[in-house]
Amino acid sequence: MNVRLRRLCGALAVAALVFLPVPAAASVSSIDDDQGTPGYCTDGSGVTVVVDASALDGPVIVRCAPDGDAGSGLEALKDAGFQIEGTQRFGEGFICRIENQPSATQRLELDGDDGYRESCLDTPPTAASWSYWHADNGGSWEYSQYGASTATVPPGGFEGWAFSLNQPPGSPAAPGVAPVRPSTDPSGSRGGGTDSDSSDDDSGSDNPGGDRAKKLPPPRPRATAMPTSPTTPDAPVTGGEDQRDLDAASVSDSNPAAPIAAGAAVIVLGVLGAVAARRRRVQRSA
Amino acid sequence: MARQAYPLPRDLHPAAWWAWALGLAVAASRTTNPWLLLTIVAVAGYVVVARRSDAPWALSFRLYLWLGALIVITRVVFRIVFGGAEGSTVLFTLPEIPLPEVAAGIRLLGAVSAESVLAGLYDGLRLATMVVCLGAANALANPKRLLRSMPSALYEVGAAVVVALSFFPQLSESLVRVRRARRLRGDVGKGVRALRSLVIPVLEDALDRSLQLAASMDSRGYGRAGGLDRRTRATTGTLLVAGLVGMCVGVYATLDTLTPRYLAAPMLVVGLVLAGTGFVIAGRRVQRTRYRPDHWRAAEVAVAACGLAVASVLVAVGEGASAATLVPAVVSATWPPLTWAPLLGVLIGTLPAWVSPPPRPTHVSADADRMPAGAIA
Repeated sequence: MNVRLRRLCGALAVAALVFLPVPAAASVSSIDDDQGTPGYCTDGSGVTVVVDASALDGPVIVRCAPDGDAGSGLEALKDAGFQIEGTQRFGEGFICRIENQPSATQRLELDGDDGYRESCLDTPPTAASWSYWHADNGGSWEYSQYGASTATVPPGGFEGWAFSLNQPPGSPAAPGVAPVRPSTDPSGSRGGGTDSDSSDDDSGSDNPGGDRAKKLPPPRPRATAMPTSPTTPDAPVTGGEDQRDLDAASVSDSNPAAPIAAGAAVIVLGVLGAVAARRRRVQRSA
Repeated sequence: MARQAYPLPRDLHPAAWWAWALGLAVAASRTTNPWLLLTIVAVAGYVVVARRSDAPWALSFRLYLWLGALIVITRVVFRIVFGGAEGSTVLFTLPEIPLPEVAAGIRLLGAVSAESVLAGLYDGLRLATMVVCLGAANALANPKRLLRSMPSALYEVGAAVVVALSFFPQLSESLVRVRRARRLRGDVGKGVRALRSLVIPVLEDALDRSLQLAASMDSRGYGRAGGLDRRTRATTGTLLVAGLVGMCVGVYATLDTLTPRYLAAPMLVVGLVLAGTGFVIAGRRVQRTRYRPDHWRAAEVAVAACGLAVASVLVAVGEGASAATLVPAVVSATWPPLTWAPLLGVLIGTLPAWVSPPPRPTHVSADADRMPAGAIA
């Protein structure tokens, strides 16, 4: 017992010394500017990713993952520069936060549970979760039948993430941004700033009943006969790209000395325990 | 004890240790922050070393530590085997095993990232810490005395409960005995063969002792219906079992925030009412005296309060502004942050090492506890 205890203490001490805390490089925004470009994709090779957190009074962000071939929906989301967090139990198989939405301190008015907070420990409840959608350019949103890590994205198409709050099970609300690249919109009525007031835009909620329901991912790559010339400038739906970075948020909430104190406490308790065990053994053998 | 110190050595009420350990376990269930979880393990371990007796069940703590290590390793291995490529810091790349289309969504091996390994580590550490907390309670609290302080109404289920509760401590004691016996015979074999010659005697021994305990309890009137008619017996039994089930569901729903809320408080209250009614009805007819009852004194209150304090601090922090530090996001392989409040809250849990009286020395308690019959009477 004693030898083992001492070994354990030694291991703990070494672990605590090796893992001395290093402050994380804190960037202000959670959007990774090295990844993706703001706004819609301008040509048919990229994948436009729409993140709609309007149910949380959050932003609606449109970004482009320029290299959209053959990746999964999860990769497209990351390639577009979004910061995501998976649940602790299942990892990124269940995405519980996108762009720190909903944040760990935000109270959600769930039916039957006012003041629910997303801790990201376990699978989020259906009534407060991110729903995952696909659309072809100029098409309409379809609820994905596949998980984000298995669905392959079509180049030139759209990927949608909409937070669904208190929606009836099985029919979450589609993203509130029409899946049309401005540069390819034939009528020209879309684009510009009209998409930013997405909460009033009901074009997404009349989501397809059955017209395209049978089409499932992996979607076939489109033979892009679409005009690719950027006739209109990008119409980025922004206003929300300044969310706090998850690392930065948690670091600024924390005290850099506290982890050191925790490590010290573990070592001290381990040493005290070893001493006590040793004294007990000496007494017993005496 | 070489020097006689105040407080005088005595065995603390087992329920106090359970309250303390459950408080730590509730705290551990609220966080995946490895700093806090490691501190909780260290706190539990230190209190066990400082305050455990030399009784057989006190040795079981080591088994729980091994069990915890096994849990952590399993979780990490599972993350590596089933898709460990979350995050950007790729540690190493294993050859990925291609799977048919039917198994879409499952990935075998492939790239392994630091974030995946860390997430598995934190997740496993959380469960392991809860297991270690229960192990601390089992090592510190005398299971037989815990049964003795059960309300008289629980006599009906008492025998079953105590056999279930004492099986694991008995197992660890049997393991020690069988290993010692093998060593004395000069059998120092290792590996699978040794395991085979170890498992059967250990299981048999532990089961035998549990049954012996149950028999000795039966001879003292536990689980006896007495002169009751069948209807009353059925009523009390149904009330007790339904009440206990209701309480279990209620407690689970209260702790697990994903369960529908109507299962939480209402279920808990209904369970309490049912069980309470059953207690009253069943308790009315059980009239037994107790020899050497366990007392609930200031030290017991202090120990139980420490557990309650740890749990409530962690729950309060989880509801507060720095909730994110309790469940640190593993977005990149950085150091998990920590604030002072939860750390100090967890450290309250070490106080029982000083505020509780030291356990009674071996030679007094050993005789009384060796005989299962004597301990419960």
